[in-house]
Amino acid sequence: MTLQLSEISRCFQGVVPSIVVTSDANGTPNVTFVSQVHQVDDKHVALSCQFFNKTRRNLDENPRAWIEVHDPVTLQTFRMRIRFLRSEKSGPLFDSMSVRIQAIASHTGMCGVFRLIAADVFAVESVEKNEGFLTEVMPDDSEQVSVEGLRHEVRGLQYVSESINRAACLEALLEAVLESLDKYFGFEHTMILLQDESTKRLVTMASRGYGVSGVGAEVAIGDGLIGMVARTRHLLRISGLHLELTYGRTIRREHGGMTPEVPLPGLPDAQSALVIPLVVGDRLLGVIAAEDRDPMRFGEWDETYLHVIANQIALGVDRMLERDDDEPGVIAPTPAAVAVVPNRRTFTFYANDDCVFVDDEYLIRNVPGRILWKLLREFRSDGRTEFSNRELRVDESLGLPAIKDNLESRLILLRKRLTEKCPEVRIVPTARGRFALQVDGGVELVER
Amino acid sequence: MSLFVGTVSPDGLPAGCRAIAATSPDQLKTITIYLPMATSRDVVSNIASTKKLAIVGTYPPDHSAMQLKGTTTAVRLATDDEREFLTYRVERFGDILHAIGIPRRVAKAINHWPAFAVEMKVEEVFDQTPGPNAGVSLR
Repeated sequence: MTLQLSEISRCFQGVVPSIVVTSDANGTPNVTFVSQVHQVDDKHVALSCQFFNKTRRNLDENPRAWIEVHDPVTLQTFRMRIRFLRSEKSGPLFDSMSVRIQAIASHTGMCGVFRLIAADVFAVESVEKNEGFLTEVMPDDSEQVSVEGLRHEVRGLQYVSESINRAACLEALLEAVLESLDKYFGFEHTMILLQDESTKRLVTMASRGYGVSGVGAEVAIGDGLIGMVARTRHLLRISGLHLELTYGRTIRREHGGMTPEVPLPGLPDAQSALVIPLVVGDRLLGVIAAEDRDPMRFGEWDETYLHVIANQIALGVDRMLERDDDEPGVIAPTPAAVAVVPNRRTFTFYANDDCVFVDDEYLIRNVPGRILWKLLREFRSDGRTEFSNRELRVDESLGLPAIKDNLESRLILLRKRLTEKCPEVRIVPTARGRFALQVDGGVELVER
Repeated sequence: MSLFVGTVSPDGLPAGCRAIAATSPDQLKTITIYLPMATSRDVVSNIASTKKLAIVGTYPPDHSAMQLKGTTTAVRLATDDEREFLTYRVERFGDILHAIGIPRRVAKAINHWPAFAVEMKVEEVFDQTPGPNAGVSLR
């Protein structure tokens, strides 16, 4: 009996490799494993062409092929007879398949070698269950979409939307979003990175579900899963991440010395990832990423919801970043200062590296580092504790861009890094566009 | 090893199936591959017509792989004496799957008996490990 592709959609998540059999003009068969078969629509699938290999040559001689795919939950196999139609080297299908390969390539240090040459599109002629493959039926305990689940998620969408609209500041917005993603969608490990226009790097501004916050962690545009999503501005959903990474590492091993592997921010043992660019118009603001140890955690449903939420986050972040300093508004309540035993802390500014250390431990760098150094110097020399965003913007020594300076996000980053590494020194908002520097104990400043 | 075979019908329609085990008494000059009867109907039918067979062996943890191509010389029912060997190979395959996160009960559930034993004269050997050397002839 021929099945519909929609009935076996789990087989196309790339958790278990698929097998493709082709033949040359002389009738000699060829067998190859592919990491993922992409479902194009109800009647078409696509395979990634990454190397000009035997399979590709065979298809030019005989367009008929045969595929066996696995359901990753029940491990039941299905067999498809397919017919090669065309190779696509650009367009939406190529882009969506390419971003996945580029991300894995970047993560395993294989940029430029491990790449998509073409998306080979096939017409599906038949789909059949491989009857008799298993002697017992494996339990299918995957979650089904229920009406109650739908209601819960729609409520979640509403809650996220309201959180974004009500947020008094960027910091509150980011934290409310991640909290509601956890509460309503079960995304336990999430992070939001915003682009620093001056360095063209992504900086982690908020995270949830990790042992350490990772705030301040940077990712270069184009590096790893997150950096590649930022570069291509295409959503990336990967299931069976471990499988993809070992596949990429195998190619790297076979190819010889390549660039060092980029550590994946977040869970070291993530099995699935959903990474979505935050874009307004044609401007990239950042990236939101969710990870999980379950290789099947993120489905189309999650992708759709997170995409809607990502668009709202992008609009909210953009609104916050453009807000005028003198605009009246409510200041978010500042968390109560953690009781600390006042210690004398030594801050060292390394001019060549443009970074600040506190007691020999890295604290922050670039523009936020320069801002901190300015505040500390004026505190030491004049006893100043009150500052304004406006005076930072006109201080050319800080190197803030004339437009889209992201000052708000830089101050959030600085505030969070201080909270983690030096709670004796705090930056506390006092009014729209104004803040205070609070220092317990003494500070010593060293410039090198 | 994860084993899979491919064949082609006389009118050019490819077909394949998972294999259970393989043995070679003579350094891969010949090989005997075992196919579950339940899932190899098209493959055995194609072999009867064309005698051409491709066998891929893959080690899932690191994707290293090799492909053998050749001409089949005999197809027979696996004997009861061979059943213990097939069961052993299925269990070892379960160990490999377990190492990459797939429960052992999955491999145990793979239908492997009764089986066909297909004997093939190996004519070509290729590196199939993903990467720039994939497809390079090893013999």
